Amino acid sequence: MQRELPSSVPLMTDSNSRRPALPGGIWRSLGITLMAILLFVLITNQFFNVRYDYTLLVVALGGAVLGLLSGVIGSFAVLRQQSLMGDALSHAALPGVAIAFMLVGRQMGALLIGAAIASWLGAQFIRAVTSTTRIKQDAAMGITLAAFFAIGLALLTIIQGQQNASQAGLAQFIFGQAASIRLDSLLTIALVGSAILLITALFWKELKLLTFDPVFAATIMRTQPVEALLSTLIVVVIVMGLQVAGVILMVGLLIAPAVAARQWSRRLDQMVVLAGIFGAFAGGTGAIISAADSGLPTGPLIIIMASIIVGVSILFAPERGVVWELWKQRRERVSFARRNVLISLYRHAQSHGDNYAWAPQELITGLYDGPGKRALGWLEQHNQAVKSGTRWQLTGSGLQAAEQFLNEHR
Amino acid sequence: MYGLEQVIIQFLLNFTSQESINTILNDPRIVAIIIGGLVAASGGLLGVFLKLRHMSLTTDAISHTILLGIVVAFIVMSSILGLEPDLSSPGLILGAALAGVGTVILTELVQRSGLIKGDTALGLVFPLLFAIAVLLVSRFTSNIHLDNDSVIVGEIGVAWANTNTHCYTGCEDVVITPEHPAARVGRVCTNCSPGGINPRSPEAVFTEQCSNCGTYNAAEAWAQGLTDVQPLLVLWPRSITTMGVITLLNVAFILIFYKELKLASFDAALARALGFKPGWLHYTLMILVSITAVGAFDAVGAVLVVAFFIIPPATAYLLTHRLGWMLILSPFLGAISALVGYDLARANLLGWLPFSELIPGLTWNTSISAAMVIAQFIVFLLAWALSPEQGFVAAMLRRQNQRRHFEDQVVMGHILNHQETLEASQELATDTLHQHFRWTPARTQQVLRRLRRLQLIVITQNRVQLTEPGVRAALSFEQTLRTGS
Repeated sequence: MQRELPSSVPLMTDSNSRRPALPGGIWRSLGITLMAILLFVLITNQFFNVRYDYTLLVVALGGAVLGLLSGVIGSFAVLRQQSLMGDALSHAALPGVAIAFMLVGRQMGALLIGAAIASWLGAQFIRAVTSTTRIKQDAAMGITLAAFFAIGLALLTIIQGQQNASQAGLAQFIFGQAASIRLDSLLTIALVGSAILLITALFWKELKLLTFDPVFAATIMRTQPVEALLSTLIVVVIVMGLQVAGVILMVGLLIAPAVAARQWSRRLDQMVVLAGIFGAFAGGTGAIISAADSGLPTGPLIIIMASIIVGVSILFAPERGVVWELWKQRRERVSFARRNVLISLYRHAQSHGDNYAWAPQELITGLYDGPGKRALGWLEQHNQAVKSGTRWQLTGSGLQAAEQFLNEHR
Repeated sequence: MYGLEQVIIQFLLNFTSQESINTILNDPRIVAIIIGGLVAASGGLLGVFLKLRHMSLTTDAISHTILLGIVVAFIVMSSILGLEPDLSSPGLILGAALAGVGTVILTELVQRSGLIKGDTALGLVFPLLFAIAVLLVSRFTSNIHLDNDSVIVGEIGVAWANTNTHCYTGCEDVVITPEHPAARVGRVCTNCSPGGINPRSPEAVFTEQCSNCGTYNAAEAWAQGLTDVQPLLVLWPRSITTMGVITLLNVAFILIFYKELKLASFDAALARALGFKPGWLHYTLMILVSITAVGAFDAVGAVLVVAFFIIPPATAYLLTHRLGWMLILSPFLGAISALVGYDLARANLLGWLPFSELIPGLTWNTSISAAMVIAQFIVFLLAWALSPEQGFVAAMLRRQNQRRHFEDQVVMGHILNHQETLEASQELATDTLHQHFRWTPARTQQVLRRLRRLQLIVITQNRVQLTEPGVRAALSFEQTLRTGS
């Protein structure tokens, strides 16, 4: 993709580094999200006969809160380039769920604690392997992911073989099932969620510093406790999110909202807020679709909603998006053509020793056929050139503009 | 595939009888171990290069997204073309290979846009493709062969039952005509209808009809007792052929392009400078990974297959530095794990150590593919502990050796400094020697015993003295200290 000319780069960064990417960008995307929620509710209600009753609201709220937490904490994981750590840790949670089930039965709290312990063990295992052997992070994560998941699956098949009537809820941890969220688990989710948000707010400064400049952070504070705090937050969020997204797709819920939010803002606070909103939207809508159509697992639906948000963000985000980039390129191409046509007219006139010499159109537009004609039309409109038949002549203001430009760029 | 199986069986029949081939191939344990071993061998070979290229997690992504290729190809073939594809049909393998390479290309595109960095792109692309695949599976392919459970754990345990039948002698089709002695012939009313003509009424017309007439192949005819000639049949599990061909493909690829692969994996920039095309090799490798993953999909599912690509190569990496050895060790360890894993799943180690008989009540019956991965993990942990260079135990031994070496040098240096001096009697008395080092007496005695055993010191009348070799050793140590090397 074409980038700006080198000479203009310092200018661009200079003016932009002191202000947010686009003032109001966050408000704009907030508004879009709100409208999207309204539209979603309206469409599902009107055309798909989804009834927004009490149960569905609980499920939707649960999905939304879990999505919000994933977005907020996922922002840090994405910015620290640890996206796939979430994948390894969510797979690693499975044996914890199975063992907790074998020990105490189907109690959501116990299952989540088991998941958290297993996930934490997975993180420690990755650290131990990378620090004591030549094996790199990617392979260590792969080993942990596959081995822990296999242990979890083996235990799950043993549990299923025992003909236990209440084991039905376990498979939901693989693909996620939001319909299982009841009011009491929603309250737990809300409670733990508020605690996570509170901790994030309290340690905001430390987390921010650690995320953007860990080396500098190490010179002014003890980073180890903060790192431990952050990985604990990630583990807790992953474990809670498993209920709706499942172990295989949890990584998507963790990083997609953060990636989308990153496109709209270059400030951490805005990014975190936006990622939370995007996550909540994906979680809520995915949960609603899944609960309304019980055949579909929740995890994949949430991931598809989140991916749509990412797609829209990558395309339309101001100053970064693909569409913005294309539009900027087009604008630059047009002004480049206008300037070149003007300068060619001027040079032609100079070579004939007459500022107002007539030039044949083909001579001027030879290189820029279509854009050149459009550029000439623009110059004529703006009174910088006049036309007679197929020949062109600079006007006074055109001459002035050309001379001014050449002076500036000498 | 069918023809290939025929050639192999023909070859095997030169050595052994049809019964013994069938006994082996109808044993779920042996078939599962053969297939698991082939998956492990292919994955282990490719995994070595993926590991060296730091692409372990790309394998994870590919093994998830081939599901999308399989499902889409499945839906296209069954609902549009009206075929009945199974997992070894070329269409599905092609779809899966496209999906695998598509994942890699899509990820690289996202990375190249500069909007999303590194691994994050992978983490965005593969959950999306996998999510679409899971939704398609649960929506369009319900009640048929693909379901979300087999997607996760595979069906290696029943692979033995999915066979092609090969016939060698007595293979003539049996044609049952109404005259045949085995034909069941009866009179049937041709123009009767409920509410219309009653079979008892005079207008009813009867004809002779044969209910089992037709052409039967030899196997069907024998099974239904229509013939006396027992055909010579071999039931050959299809997955063995599929995985076998894929394994051979991988082996051939690595043998042919060994040099290029080695160069491109260790130094891609040099490879490019020398005029190789690492990009071309990269995509071929990705296609092979996809094909291997789809072949293994049937056996071990979409999620666990990644273990076969990552864990054995990592284990081999712990045990050796040499690429050649890694390529031998990695598939070997994978295959051993497949063997141990099957028995682990059935709580009956190696077929002769049944847990359930050792500890009453301890039986289980768990997913075979998961148990194979657990066995790989156990082998990994063992290698991590016992590896001669990077293992725990080796590190511990190394530390112990260093400590001993240090103790020896300290004591010998002390003796060297004092043995020709006036205070030698105080400094070198064995019972007070420990005070000079501030060690415990026991530790000091241990060091002295060791040095005596090595004949570096002698003890005469409660005094330690260096022997000739002891003096040389102590001097050479001082020398190294002084020169700092």
